[in-house]
Amino acid sequence: MAGHNESEKKQSDSTNDLQTFNGDNLQSNMKVIYYSRTFLSIIGGVMAGILGFTGLTGFIFYFLIMAITSVGLIAKAKFSVDSYFDSWNRVAFDGFLGGLMSFVLFWTFAYDIVHIF
Amino acid sequence: MAEDLVLDRAIRDWVLIPLSVVMVLIGVLRYFVSKLMRSSQVPDAKIIREGHVPLPLTLSLLIVYPIHLYSGYYHCTWILTHSSSFFFFGCVCAFCSSLPRQVILRARNLRGAANFIPPKSFRARRLYFSNELVLEECLHLREGVLVLQSRSWLVGLSLKLGTLANMGSELADMRAMGLVWLWSLVSENGLLHVPKGQAQNAQAQMFSDPNMAMDMMKKNLSMIIPQTLTFAWVNFFFSGFVAAKIPFPLTQRFRSMLQNGIDLSTVDVSYVSSRSWYFLNLFGLRGLFSLILGEENATDDTQRMMQMSGFGMDPTKSLGAEKDSLDIVQHEWALPKFEQRAEAVLRKLTA
Repeated sequence: MAGHNESEKKQSDSTNDLQTFNGDNLQSNMKVIYYSRTFLSIIGGVMAGILGFTGLTGFIFYFLIMAITSVGLIAKAKFSVDSYFDSWNRVAFDGFLGGLMSFVLFWTFAYDIVHIF
Repeated sequence: MAEDLVLDRAIRDWVLIPLSVVMVLIGVLRYFVSKLMRSSQVPDAKIIREGHVPLPLTLSLLIVYPIHLYSGYYHCTWILTHSSSFFFFGCVCAFCSSLPRQVILRARNLRGAANFIPPKSFRARRLYFSNELVLEECLHLREGVLVLQSRSWLVGLSLKLGTLANMGSELADMRAMGLVWLWSLVSENGLLHVPKGQAQNAQAQMFSDPNMAMDMMKKNLSMIIPQTLTFAWVNFFFSGFVAAKIPFPLTQRFRSMLQNGIDLSTVDVSYVSSRSWYFLNLFGLRGLFSLILGEENATDDTQRMMQMSGFGMDPTKSLGAEKDSLDIVQHEWALPKFEQRAEAVLRKLTA
């Protein structure tokens, strides 16, 4: 799911710090990050609900999922984050809390369907 | 969590699941309805064209067209009194709403890509955006533009301006820059320059555009009507159910949020009433919508709110801010450095 769009190389050379990345591609990469995070937070929510996590365990599960997503995205970028994104913490932390609402909703939904009735 | 409630399975089958499914489907429906209701793209086409105006061929067009397109925005009254071309007034008004945003966009692009063009070109373009003429020059130019007949006069004036901005005074350069110069001539003061007294006027004109207001109203309606209907539907069919239970404990403060519609103070806070489940869905399904409907979904309420508050913002302020930031750009042409860069890349390849 991660960045299938080649973005232009951003040179990290010391000779110049000119920003020569392609704005559209960068944005598309960011969108891919957003989508994969949203997708995984929904899936993770359903998983947590079915497994019956409650309380803190569920949130820990969420952060675990997000960490795994970050690692997956970085692996998809072949561990050279600089050539796809303009900064490191973009890929690692962007949208970390954005998916929390979706996660909680689907967690609740799946948990209710499976467990409380 | 004192004691667990025992909820009927029928509540799950007939309240929780239908409610969630209906919320998703309503969201999808709303997306498509708002897509249908989006007005025809006629004004948008103008805006897009306006972003990169085709250079008019004849001199007369060159004078008339840009005046009305650009400086016309701020000099409406001047145009009316001097050229008395009432015909264009309507056009000017139609453009008014989109103008500042487009100009700001172009100035921002210039700022972003400043280092990729030679210093001379950059200065010319910057002048085009943020030129501020002194008063006598202004007067001179005004009558000049009206009188403008001969090419030689234009050359003279451009040369004069060229020395004014430290530009090279060679004729060849002048010709290359001629068009840009003409722009800055015609727009007199630079696009981002806001005359003192006309700030309020501009805002008033922006709000008077009926098309924009209509569009906003349509968007609002497509947002409000389904929400009201769904809320009424939920209220009518599902009021009073304890429909769900969130799997983590919460404090008492959340009771009004989560148990909207059931007035029992002894029930644990983590139980959610059906009406509150509706609200949770309303806010939590945004992520799902962005997945199944794409980025362009019309359900993002917070963004809409931000856009709407952006409407009320004074456009002249952002024009001024953009002008300032354009003025302080440190221009450094990137091309001379590219040899070193290419050398570095090649070295890396061969190594």
